[in-house]
Amino acid sequence: MQNRPPENYEWLKTKEYFKKNSKTVISIIFLFVLGIGSLSSFYTVEPDEEAVVIRLGKYQKTNPPGLHFKIPFGIDNVIKVKTKIVHQAEFGFRTSSSTERRTTYSSKNFDTESLMLTGDLNVAEVQWVVQFQISDPFKFIFQTSEPITNIRDISESIMRRVVGDKTVTEVLTTGRVEIATQSRELMQGVLDHYDMGISIKTVKLQDVNPPRTVQDSFNEVNSAKQEQEKMINQAEEAYNKVIPEAKGKAKKLISEANGYAEAKVNRALGDTSRFLAIYEEYNKAPNITKKRIYLETMEELFGSMEDTTILDAKVKGLLPVFGKLQGAN
Amino acid sequence: MTKSSILIIISFFAFITFYSSTFILSEGHQAIVTEFGRPVGAPITNAGLHFKKPFIQDIRLVDKRILSWDGFPNQIPTKDKKYIKVDTTARWRIIDVLKFIQTVQNEKGAKTRLDTILDGHTRDVISSHNLVEAVRNSNEILNTIEDQKEEIKKQKEKGLFILEDEISVDVEKIIEGREKLSQMIVNKADKELQELGIKLIDVQLRRISYEESVEKKVYERMISERKRIAQKIRSIGKGETAEIEGRLTRDLQKIESEAYRTAESVRGQADGKAAAIYAKALKINPGFYDFIRSMEAYKKSIKGKKYILTNDSEFLKFLK
Repeated sequence: MQNRPPENYEWLKTKEYFKKNSKTVISIIFLFVLGIGSLSSFYTVEPDEEAVVIRLGKYQKTNPPGLHFKIPFGIDNVIKVKTKIVHQAEFGFRTSSSTERRTTYSSKNFDTESLMLTGDLNVAEVQWVVQFQISDPFKFIFQTSEPITNIRDISESIMRRVVGDKTVTEVLTTGRVEIATQSRELMQGVLDHYDMGISIKTVKLQDVNPPRTVQDSFNEVNSAKQEQEKMINQAEEAYNKVIPEAKGKAKKLISEANGYAEAKVNRALGDTSRFLAIYEEYNKAPNITKKRIYLETMEELFGSMEDTTILDAKVKGLLPVFGKLQGAN
Repeated sequence: MTKSSILIIISFFAFITFYSSTFILSEGHQAIVTEFGRPVGAPITNAGLHFKKPFIQDIRLVDKRILSWDGFPNQIPTKDKKYIKVDTTARWRIIDVLKFIQTVQNEKGAKTRLDTILDGHTRDVISSHNLVEAVRNSNEILNTIEDQKEEIKKQKEKGLFILEDEISVDVEKIIEGREKLSQMIVNKADKELQELGIKLIDVQLRRISYEESVEKKVYERMISERKRIAQKIRSIGKGETAEIEGRLTRDLQKIESEAYRTAESVRGQADGKAAAIYAKALKINPGFYDFIRSMEAYKKSIKGKKYILTNDSEFLKFLK
């Protein structure tokens, strides 16, 4: 007869229990595994994603958004990739915050990224962005080991190639759009050559400046141009003010002369026609007419005279006392 | 030993054996099978479930993807003695797994060899060409400059004033160009890299910049060139302004003098015409005209004034 239970009492009890209920225990375990299996055998792909399905290491397919099934227990491995997002890679500058109302930029110097040589062996500082999307998620993950690094390297290399064929003036002013377009095309070409599953949406030039040290002298050229335009405009303005005025005066002078001419000629015509009219009258009766005219003139004359003295020509030595004599009385 | 225990042990060993005789090759990888360290068979490049001899055979994995190499920026003098910093990158992949593992063993080993090989060939190619060959890729810039010159000429002919931006450096024609130089590096390195089971896809001259002391000189050149252009702009402007001012004076004088001449001529002609009219009319009877005219003169001048006259004055001829 035993006084205390044996040490392995609990273990024996469990073994007993399992032996008795082996069927139920096994079925419970089976159901448990089945449960886990079914839970992990479906997944959802969000609207901005695509899912790459790898079965036993090998690529199966790429699934679009929605509900999908996979073989559980590690047989199927699903990698979800956001394919709708447009990523932005920045070159020559970095956005440090775009959460506040105004975007702020890092004040660090990114000269090594931004300084590049132009075709005329000058130096320019070029900042740009590249916007891209993942067009084939499988290729994006499995074609290259460092896809983002590749995009950045190629972007820098191509930009320098395109800028290297332009003059510094083109880079700073007139060629910006062409540079962006050419770069986009060439970058896409190289990435397609690597078959990376990346689609470059746009390349945009941001700030493009001459290097800091040289900036002042570039500004000097601009202000010289502006000064120049101003001086020339002022000269033209002065011309446009004076010349029309002078032309106006000239016209006036000539029309005054014309006026004078017409008046003179008309007066001559008037005088002569009057004379001819009188002469015609005179001719009809010369003596009478002459006398008449003479008398008319005298009448008018004497009628208006205040004080006339006619002296004999033979008188000599006349004292000018007329007025005084009369007044002295 | 119970029957179930033996069953468990047997199934355990079966499982381990099964496990050891299969392997999964993931996408992006390639492998070689080794038996006691010795390579066996062809490299396996397809992803998926594969079989091998259990326990005695092992797998060595390498990357199947395109790998990147980044070179340390080198200071290299070009053929025309310009000291530049060349920063290159390259894409490569392992095409012969066996050779690769045998020669460099892994990517780290590969990087070291790539450094040596690519640096060397980059240096060779860069130093045997002028700087401009490494900067430019085509002769497109010459066309741009030609077009610019044409534009300026046309505008000048139209009489419009144009401020020219000058190109100071003589832009020369290139023979090779950036891309061709990159290709040269690839071609030179290809044979050596083949020995390592590596295929070089491309080399990119990612950045080319002036070495510090050269950069300073280039900036000085740029500054003095800009100053010269500014100076030229100013003097052209002064010239144009002077020309306009001169034109102003000249045109003004012309207008004024021509107007004066025309006016005087008109007046003169009128005077002449009037005189002719008078002469023609008065010539009919000059004596009568004399009489009439004197009457008029008396009327006008003698009116309302104090006059002392002698009785034999010519003026009073007709009063006698």
